[in-house]
Amino acid sequence: MVCGVDHRVDRSTATLDTSRAPNRKTEFTLKDILNPPELHWNYWFDFVSTPESGLSTTSDWPRLLICGSMNLAMGCVCRPVSWPPGRILDSRHCVFAVTLVMLLMQVVVVETNTWWSLAMNPLLIPEAYIIGAQPLCSQLVGLSPGQKKLCQLYQDHMQYIGEGAKTGIRECQYQFRHRRWNCSTVDNSSVFGRVMQIGSRETAFMYAISAAGVVNAVSRACREGELNSCGCSRAARPKDLPRDWLWGGCGDNLDYGCRFSKQFVDAREREKTPLKGSYESARKMMNLHNNEAGRRAVLELAHASCKCHGVSGSCSLKTCWLQLADFRKVGDLLKEKYDSAAAMKLNSRGRMVQMHSKFNAPTGDDLVYIDPSPDYCLKNQSTGSLGTVGRLCNKTSEGMDGCELMCCGRGYDQFKAEIVERCHCKFHWCCYVKCKRCSKTVDQFVCK
Amino acid sequence: ICVGVLPRTACILRIIALCILLSHAAAYFGLTGREPLVFLPGPFSNDAPTGKAHLKQCEQMTLTRRQKRLCRREPGLAETLRESVRLSLLECRYQFRNERWNCSLDGRGSLLKKAFKETAFLLAVSSAALTHALAKACSSGRMERCTCDDSPGIQHREAWQWGVCGDNLKYSTKFLKKFLGQKRVSKDLRAQMEAHNINVGTRAVKSGLKTTCKCHGVSGSCAVRTCWKQLSPFHDTGRLLKYRYDTAVKVLSVTNAATGETELAGPRRHSQSPRTTDLVYLEDSPSFCRPSRYSPGTGGRSCAKDTSCQSLCCGRGYNTAMHLTSLSCHCQVRWCCHVECQTCVREEERYTCKNA
Repeated sequence: MVCGVDHRVDRSTATLDTSRAPNRKTEFTLKDILNPPELHWNYWFDFVSTPESGLSTTSDWPRLLICGSMNLAMGCVCRPVSWPPGRILDSRHCVFAVTLVMLLMQVVVVETNTWWSLAMNPLLIPEAYIIGAQPLCSQLVGLSPGQKKLCQLYQDHMQYIGEGAKTGIRECQYQFRHRRWNCSTVDNSSVFGRVMQIGSRETAFMYAISAAGVVNAVSRACREGELNSCGCSRAARPKDLPRDWLWGGCGDNLDYGCRFSKQFVDAREREKTPLKGSYESARKMMNLHNNEAGRRAVLELAHASCKCHGVSGSCSLKTCWLQLADFRKVGDLLKEKYDSAAAMKLNSRGRMVQMHSKFNAPTGDDLVYIDPSPDYCLKNQSTGSLGTVGRLCNKTSEGMDGCELMCCGRGYDQFKAEIVERCHCKFHWCCYVKCKRCSKTVDQFVCK
Repeated sequence: ICVGVLPRTACILRIIALCILLSHAAAYFGLTGREPLVFLPGPFSNDAPTGKAHLKQCEQMTLTRRQKRLCRREPGLAETLRESVRLSLLECRYQFRNERWNCSLDGRGSLLKKAFKETAFLLAVSSAALTHALAKACSSGRMERCTCDDSPGIQHREAWQWGVCGDNLKYSTKFLKKFLGQKRVSKDLRAQMEAHNINVGTRAVKSGLKTTCKCHGVSGSCAVRTCWKQLSPFHDTGRLLKYRYDTAVKVLSVTNAATGETELAGPRRHSQSPRTTDLVYLEDSPSFCRPSRYSPGTGGRSCAKDTSCQSLCCGRGYNTAMHLTSLSCHCQVRWCCHVECQTCVREEERYTCKNA
């Protein structure tokens, strides 16, 4: 099953308004320099003051610099918005701004798909404490311009996107809990750090499961009537349903959820226009493929769920509707796809092909990756790996969570830890369970 | 080895003696020997070996002087030795086909220098194979110096009368002791461990000795029965040894306070010596995931998607490839008496572990 084309979202308004981007104009007349268009300088200012805000890709960098240098050539009128209008800087301040730019470039290099930051606690915005108020789209960090546009059009969906991302991250942490990289979040803005800049299998899994999480959350929200623009599922009756059963009820609106996820999550990728044959174009194709694989996993596992409501609860009358599968099952399916992911590379014509052609070609349901995974054993700033020092390991296990493999041969320390758990639980009539707390000491093994 | 107070010459002598013993002890045969193992040809050829051919075979194999002498004296021994090597290799590979270390011969040399669980298994299985092959060779009449099982008891004489030949395990174990030279066990921990494991192998074969009977009374009834002792198939012994490998005990050497001798003892908590049927080892094995000097790693190993790929590929994932296999299908019996089958070609998925 493939997510269909969206008919409801107006395409013309959903795309990025490119006329207002700074990188479109490459020639400046004298009039422009003396009276630069406001929004042009807004971008410049936003970039200089808050490094984390909606950074664009490396392919945008040279164009922004060109902007600066062209202005230098023209006599340099770098004019941030906060400074009193009418003031014209001389070239010294321009050079300072450009060097500041280059310094900041060292700190945050390439794009970080930070729409995941919606999953991290967004309650820092004071307006959110007011019941019913929605956070302003421009204040949400990490959205690309297209995503910001969608945010403004569909403000009520944002909360569910955040929930979907949170579900995805939680499922990722569950599936990877026994492995060296355990999907841990680093901070609130770039969420996973620089690990996601490498096109490895783990990145593929994360993209897929976050797209799947968004489908899940939005479909559920549609069914529960939380969103204005969608309602119950209008999916066609499945062909294998027995004829006596009724098809109806209020199913999860998978169709809408899928399409919205496609619009929102893929928006950042579609805005990029990388050079043909470059690493960025490979990353774009890989990300789009993995997002689609994640969505298809949800579609594949959705099933018809039925309820008997005949005479005294018998199954003489049965109504069925479309229901999303438990997200744990989606996680398991994507973990299987992760294990069998296909390594790809770019061929001379700029298309993505398999690295070893003797293996089966990946279908739309499979995950693809372009880089081998970095070494997650040791902490490494450039790859973003956190290392396995301090991780708990299982002494008796032979798998990836055994102390051999988890600690990468470095050895482990043994600690005694007190674990408090509930025990001697008793059911009281009616209707609660009361448990006592027992503490016991267990051996815990921690990697060196 | 040298406790501080001894004079230097005594110390050097001890070291030399130890080296001799160790080198002597390391010249085991087959999987645990030093020779490069080529995949040896199949079971015995049908024509009887001519008189002098076995001498050449004895020279080809890497044996100590004493072993070569034994080999020359006994014409059927060379073939039996090769058979035992083949048997042990096949069994080892079969039992470890789903494990990370799959008994490949690449890292064998370095593996034998250390005292891992895998080394213990290799020792046990090669001695078991040698015992088994010798006993079978005796009963099949391929050896000159031994024949059927001649342990006392009327049943065996009867068995021989009726044409059944029991496997001669007694000769086999005696010969093995002579062949591997296990008269004196030194106090060295490593030598003790090796002797213990070899013993485990022979005991495993002995425990598989079963009494088999054949009824040949009036119209096939069991009024008259002939029984003899027969070794179980080597697969059963292999399975038993694999179980022992899974439950192997790590030991260290302690001095028995009563007798003053050093002996093997289990880890502190258990504080009892390992049973004579347990395999013992001294060092923890490495994980054989990555290529190292002990094994070529698990990259490229074929695995089964639902069961073994998880553990075998060490989390690296697997590749899928389509493979054409041909098999017999639509088999029919033609009277009389052969089966005719057609060949069907089928495409199936093969999974191999990723390299990195």
